[in-house]
Formats: sequence, C-alpha cells, structure tokens
Amino acid sequence: MDNFEFDSPYYICFKDQECLKSSLPTGVSYLNQQLIFENKEPIEIRIIYILQQDQQLTMTFQFEKNVQVDIIETKMLQKNASLKKIMNLKQNAIVHMFNENNSCHEGHISLKEEVYLQRDAVCHSGYAELSDGSVQGEYRYYLDGENADARVRMAILSKQQEKKNFEVLIQHNRPYTYGQMDNYGVVKDQGHLKIDGIGTITKGQRGSSSHQTNKIMVFDPSCVASANPYLYIDEYDVKASHAAAVGKMDEEHLYYLQSRGLTKKQAMQLITYGYLKPVIEVVDNDMLKAYFEKVLSKVGA
Amino acid sequence: MMSTLLIKNLHVNVGEKEILKGINLEINTGEVHAIMGPNGNGKSTLLSAVMGHPKYQVTQGEILINEQDVLKMSVDERSRAGLFLGMQYPQEIPGVTNSDFLKAAMNARLEKPISLFKFIRTLDKNIEELHMNENLAHRYLNEGFSGGEKKRNEILQMKLLKPQFALLDEIDSGLDVDALRVVSEAINSMRGDDFSCVMVSHYERLFELVKPTHVHVLVNGQIVKSGGYELVEKIDKEGYEWIKQELGIEIQEEEEKQPIILESCGKKEQLTHG
Repeated sequence: MDNFEFDSPYYICFKDQECLKSSLPTGVSYLNQQLIFENKEPIEIRIIYILQQDQQLTMTFQFEKNVQVDIIETKMLQKNASLKKIMNLKQNAIVHMFNENNSCHEGHISLKEEVYLQRDAVCHSGYAELSDGSVQGEYRYYLDGENADARVRMAILSKQQEKKNFEVLIQHNRPYTYGQMDNYGVVKDQGHLKIDGIGTITKGQRGSSSHQTNKIMVFDPSCVASANPYLYIDEYDVKASHAAAVGKMDEEHLYYLQSRGLTKKQAMQLITYGYLKPVIEVVDNDMLKAYFEKVLSKVGA
Repeated sequence: MMSTLLIKNLHVNVGEKEILKGINLEINTGEVHAIMGPNGNGKSTLLSAVMGHPKYQVTQGEILINEQDVLKMSVDERSRAGLFLGMQYPQEIPGVTNSDFLKAAMNARLEKPISLFKFIRTLDKNIEELHMNENLAHRYLNEGFSGGEKKRNEILQMKLLKPQFALLDEIDSGLDVDALRVVSEAINSMRGDDFSCVMVSHYERLFELVKPTHVHVLVNGQIVKSGGYELVEKIDKEGYEWIKQELGIEIQEEEEKQPIILESCGKKEQLTHG
C-alpha cells in the first residue's frame, strides 16, 4: 500500500483475486467480488487492484437508488493480467470515478468495463492511462433509463514501444439520454495509440445527445496514432457531434511560452499538463491534483 | 548599471523575401524608443526577429545585449537575458492556467522558486493595478479573452517579469481609452534606469501618454529617419508623404495580413479582409 498518498478513510484493496484489506463505510458491503453501495450519505472511497502475471479478476458494483459515490481507483497489473468491472447504477445513483492505471509491466494487459445506467443515473468517469506497458482497453456505457447521463474523459500516454488501444462506447437505449466523451492522448518515441470513440443511438431514443472529441498529440516522427470517431444513429430527433484530430504540438504555443523564459521542455510539459489535466476534474479532490501533477512529469518532453 | 541592446546591420528574411535590409539601433536602459512607419515595412518583423521567432531568418548582422551575442541564444535564453516581446496577437493556450504559466515564467528567472504566498500577493496587486478581472489567474491563458484583455495580459507579464528591454508590438490596438490609460501608466511605472522599451504603434495617442526619448521611422526595411518627439507630431499631422519627398524614396505599402482565427468562419474572414 506504500504507493498511495491519498488519505481517504475508506478503501478496499484487492490482491491476487481476493480482498486484501478494507475499511468500508456504513452502507457499503463486499462479498464474493461484488461491492454493494446502499449508503445514505455521499461517500468517497479508494479502490486498489493488484493483479499478478496472467491473473484475471471480475468485479461487480451495485449502486442502489439515490446513492452518491466518489471513487478513486488505482490499477496495478502485471503482464497478461486482465481486469473486468461491471457496474450497475440504479435510479438516480450518482457516481464520479477517477481511474488511474499505474501498471508497470512487459507484454500487455486488458481492462474492460461495462457500465449500465438506469433512469436519472449519472456516471462521470476520468481515466488516467499513463501506465508503463501495452494496454487493450474497452469501456462501454449503456444508457438504459431516461435522463441517464454518462461522461467519459481519458488522458492517455503511449511511449517507448508501448501499444495502447482503447475503445469507448456510449450506447443510448432510452430516450432523453446524454453521452459525452473527451479522449485525449499523447504519443512519444515509438509509441502506438489508437482511440475508437463510438456513440450509438438506437431507434426511438428521441431527445438524446451524443458528443465526442478524440485528440492525439504526437511528439516524435516514429509515433503511430489514430483517433476514430464513430456515430451510429438510428433516430432523427437527436443531437450529435464529433471531433477528431491527430497532430503536433502547436509551434506558436511553444514560442509564446519560450518567449517568457520557459525552456522548450518546460513549455512542452506545461502544455501537455494542460492538455491531459481535465481528466482529474471528475472528482473534487485537492490531493489528487497534486499527485497527478507529479505523475504527469513522466510525460516530460 | 546601464545595459545596451545593440542592433547592427540586421537583415531578415521571411522565406525568400528580404524584409529588413540593414537595421541599426542602439537602445540603452532608461530610454524609450518609438518605431513608426507605414504598414508592411518591417516594424513587427524587427521585434519578432529580436525575440527569435523561428519564422524570421537573420541573414546578416548582429544583435547584442551588453556585447553578448543574442543571435546565438534560443528564444527562452533571450527572455532570461532581459528581452520581452509584448505581442500583437498573443496566443491562446487551452488547459494552461494563467497562474501556472505566470508562476513558471517568474521561476524561470529565479534561482529559488517564488513562494506561493508571495506569488499570489504580487499577482493580485498587479491584476488590481491593471484593472483586470480577478478570475484571471484561474482562466486559461488568453483563451476567450477580448482583444483588450489579451493586451493587458501582455503588460501584466511584463510587470511580473521585469525585463530590461521590453518590445511592445502595437500594444495599444484593441484598447479603449480607459484601458489605454491604464496600460500607459503601467509602462510609465516601469520607466527607470533598469528598463527600456521599444514601442511600435500607428497612433500618436500612445506616444503622448508614454513619451518616447527616441523616435525612428522604418521604411522599406530600413530606418530612414531618427529624432525626438517632434517626429511623432509631424507624422501625426502630415503622414509619411514628406519623408518620401525629403529622402526621395518610394514607400512600398503592403496590407498587413490579418490572422484568421480558427473559431471564426474562415470564408467570412477572407471576404472581410480581401
């Protein structure tokens, strides 16, 4: 537990497919890889996953009606490990989740999430994907009740020989649902990064909104990057937008900051930090901000 | 101690085209220089080339600060050597807050980083003096700022960074009367033995408020006339025609290209600016 500098009183830590230790507030219970939230008061909880080589873990989260939960998660996976999470949000459950992949491994790991939102449920997630190693990630959100609201932000760094592929899906299965994703990536060295953003509005889901932005900033000539937005819409009365861009850091931005005395490296760091930082805004936590600033120094230049 | 910025026989190209054709200038701390001249004759190019914008290639000549070779310095080294360019079109940088940026810029020239308390106090005082929005510190750098706010933000940076040589490129454009007064007071408050400034402007009003000690007229990439404040008055009354006649030169006037801002409709901008 030495890596964790957060001072949340409530936490649960999984190691080798079992609960290693936990301190859970009233209204939160854990049994057989299932966490159930029935808390009356809003809570913040830290969750840590430690998986050894080739291990697999599937976790289910039940958020009962009207709960409010902030989650700060850290994932530390070894080679070929895979983690799957299934989250069910009942009516009016509000979940804000910051997710950090802090793995360091050779080979690749697999991360999957399925999030089901019922009527008036809200899930805002931030994924900080700055891990060392290749990653295959699939995050799927299903809006299964009217007024359900899912927002996803990603900040991804792919460097050295890492290969990172992410697919983010928000599927609207009921009318008047809201989905938004903002996926930002930085690629350095010989890194690979592919982001597929998928917004699906099925037939009859009038009044729904599906928005997405996918942006990748490329530092070196040998980087490989693609940002692909997909919108599958089978209904007329909806709002939808998408934006995708892959490009270099703006030279004029660098010049402006350098003209104030920042070295090129400092300027690049400041711009990159600003580019990736919105991911922490899903959870209101000052410690997180300070911690993330430190973590981002590895983005460097 | 007096410092000197010396520009000797400076020739500058943009692409294949020679814009500056042998500029000579000596600027000492304590002085305020005004550079005037018709559009498209090289005023902004001169300031940007001194700062080291990569678009401008110096093909001949020298720039020295106290005999140190500025042309060998990177842009950030020039800044730390005492140069500052208040830009005509300051960049908008999303995600970077003003306060993170200003702190980093101040720390770039300090041996020990400034304490948070001192930084906030200094920043608040200057924001107040410049009549700026107090939310400024938390806003992203120049993003969504009006033209006038951007210019004031340039002056704020100048005040915090305390350069020896401030180059101000049309710092008065986009400012209303009140803002111009505030900005002029800020520049005047910096005047002293340790500060000098080179201002480019088309308007006499700025030079009335910040009285230059030296005035130069830049035409066709060369300084064709230098003098005192009387030159400003004469140009304000008579334009540049008399210079043409007196010196027997043709002035090539070019329309300055307006940058097209990405958020606005490119086609419409093109139509407006021809």
